[in-house]
Amino acid sequence: MKNKLFAGLFMLLLFGSAYAQELSLPELEGYKKSTNYPVFKPDNLWDYINGAADTYLAYGFIDLHVAEYKKGKNVIKLEIYKHADNTLAFGIYSTERSPSFRFMNLGAQGYVADGAINFFKGNYYVKLRTFSKNEKTLRSNESLALKVSNMLGGVSEMPSVLSRFPEAGKKINEETYINESVLGHKFLNKAYKAIYEEGSDNFSIFIIENSSREELKKSVSAYLAATGEDPTEAESGRYMLKDGYNGTIFLSWKDNYIVIISGLSKDQSDIADKYTSEILK
Amino acid sequence: MQNFNRRGFIKTGVAGAAGFVALSPLSGYSAASKQDEEIIYRILGKTGLKVPVISFGVMRADNPNLCKAAYEKGIKLFDTANGYQNGNNEIMLGNLFKDYPRESLLLATKVRAGGVDKDGKPTDQTTTEDFLTKFDTSLSRLKMSYVDILYVHSVNNPELLEHKPLLNAIKKLKKDGRIRFAGISTHSNEAAVVAAAASTENWDVVLTAYNFMQTYSNELKSAIRKANEAGIGIVAMKTMAGGGFFDKEKTKPINTTAALKWALSNPDITTAIPGMTDFDQLDLNVKILSDITLTGDEMKDLVVPTAETGLYCTGCTKCIPVCPKNLPVPDLMRAYMYAYGYSNPAMAYSLLGELGTTDNPCNGCSPCRVECTKNFKVKEKITDISRLVNVPVDFLV
Repeated sequence: MKNKLFAGLFMLLLFGSAYAQELSLPELEGYKKSTNYPVFKPDNLWDYINGAADTYLAYGFIDLHVAEYKKGKNVIKLEIYKHADNTLAFGIYSTERSPSFRFMNLGAQGYVADGAINFFKGNYYVKLRTFSKNEKTLRSNESLALKVSNMLGGVSEMPSVLSRFPEAGKKINEETYINESVLGHKFLNKAYKAIYEEGSDNFSIFIIENSSREELKKSVSAYLAATGEDPTEAESGRYMLKDGYNGTIFLSWKDNYIVIISGLSKDQSDIADKYTSEILK
Repeated sequence: MQNFNRRGFIKTGVAGAAGFVALSPLSGYSAASKQDEEIIYRILGKTGLKVPVISFGVMRADNPNLCKAAYEKGIKLFDTANGYQNGNNEIMLGNLFKDYPRESLLLATKVRAGGVDKDGKPTDQTTTEDFLTKFDTSLSRLKMSYVDILYVHSVNNPELLEHKPLLNAIKKLKKDGRIRFAGISTHSNEAAVVAAAASTENWDVVLTAYNFMQTYSNELKSAIRKANEAGIGIVAMKTMAGGGFFDKEKTKPINTTAALKWALSNPDITTAIPGMTDFDQLDLNVKILSDITLTGDEMKDLVVPTAETGLYCTGCTKCIPVCPKNLPVPDLMRAYMYAYGYSNPAMAYSLLGELGTTDNPCNGCSPCRVECTKNFKVKEKITDISRLVNVPVDFLV
């Protein structure tokens, strides 16, 4: 008993100051709002979402505000995840997105799936969830989502790099952003990925937008070095290489962009050419 | 623009010239697959499953080729969850493994019991139907007719383990052959949850957080021992202590190999599920498949830097004359550091024995008059570490 009491006091001490909600969350008519959760930080996100926390941390997670809206037995839970920037917010949003969901015009993009509404806007990834099947509650959920979207600052736009992906053959709403270890390689980071289908072929295209030539050269050279080759100083280049783990890879770069195509065979360089040329034109 | 060109896989020079450069396979990745006889297997409790000591926590992986490579290198148990990447993690594994011989791999997933309250207790919304619906979704994503282990995800209150609607769901899934074994995962209040699981017949496997940084490791180890004796297979997660770094600024990386080996040095742990996102991590972990010996240097690497924990007592002895009970405070602080900094409770136990420490020597003395120059909460630490004298020495490693 004593231990429990101590633990309780300790937790209160630990989280007491964090209970103060920094965001002023909107009211929802007919519902009682409760914000009795701590503001979760990188240190304790595990306490709330368990193993999924690692993925959020990999996408620059800063904090999480949680609130519950109750009306009788109907509950809507609101979670607002703040990430370091818009790209990372899109990144975490995109890892949890599925093309099968019903998409809606909310923030930069949002969707509804089985009582859940998820969207991202600016640096925020927002998730609302109700287990109720009641139509009114589901409508209230959408209404709350809209209020939150209007409340949050930041741009309501998809990352501009996505527009570089050619439309032909691209699978809709399957683009993602990979912050670390693209294709499982530690030396490749910060890539946008789109999946393509051309005839019976499925392949992936990765675009890495580098902030400088040095950054680009570092990544390209690291990939080449992994093959035992010398780093290159070339301003642009196209290589077809055999990646021991990922099969045939088409690697190209120009200006500040690196393009990687995975999933095509070595005799499909014409397809790789077509897409690479369009992206790097 | 240059073109990729398949004519002749010869290196023609650096890019920039028209044409192509075709390179040989990545020479940097030469880690060979482990021969089966080299791999260290352990039996997962009463399930009887023979599992390599290293398994794969898939939660963050987004490249199926990484899972494929792990499989080819000898890793057989893949661990995902209904909620990871909102289901995309299960979909990736389903697409990858749909053409593999099903019996050649082990698949574990986790489903959260719905409607649990803030204390982790079930409510009337924690229903059989809800759990079964979520599991059906998982199975459909995984493109499998069964999973080997289904965990109830994130149990932190023993009450949930006895909740009839949940047990009914588990029973039905087993009867229908859609799960082979049932388990729970826990990373909060682990010791109590693991001990509670050990006292019923309902659970086959426990997936628990277990690492060298846990300050309650003795309690947890005892619970794990109890569960193991009850036939429950134990799988370790969070073996890197969460972030893989000693410090918040991420300047002092943890030796992940040492951390994994530390977890596996407990024979009650069958396997660990480190999360992996790149091939370098995979290759490091594959080496452990056949060698779990924790070397002296690796042990040293697990000593928590004192700057981060403040566990190191400078031995100024200013506390000794102040303490009304004349306790050897610096020595007791050292025992505390052995247990929590060095993760060596046996060493702490030995020191406490030498000092003739009794259980709770600060009892009846309040408030504590010691004002430590390092701001240690002396009474708190002494009360904590002195509990060790009541632990049977056999439980200490």
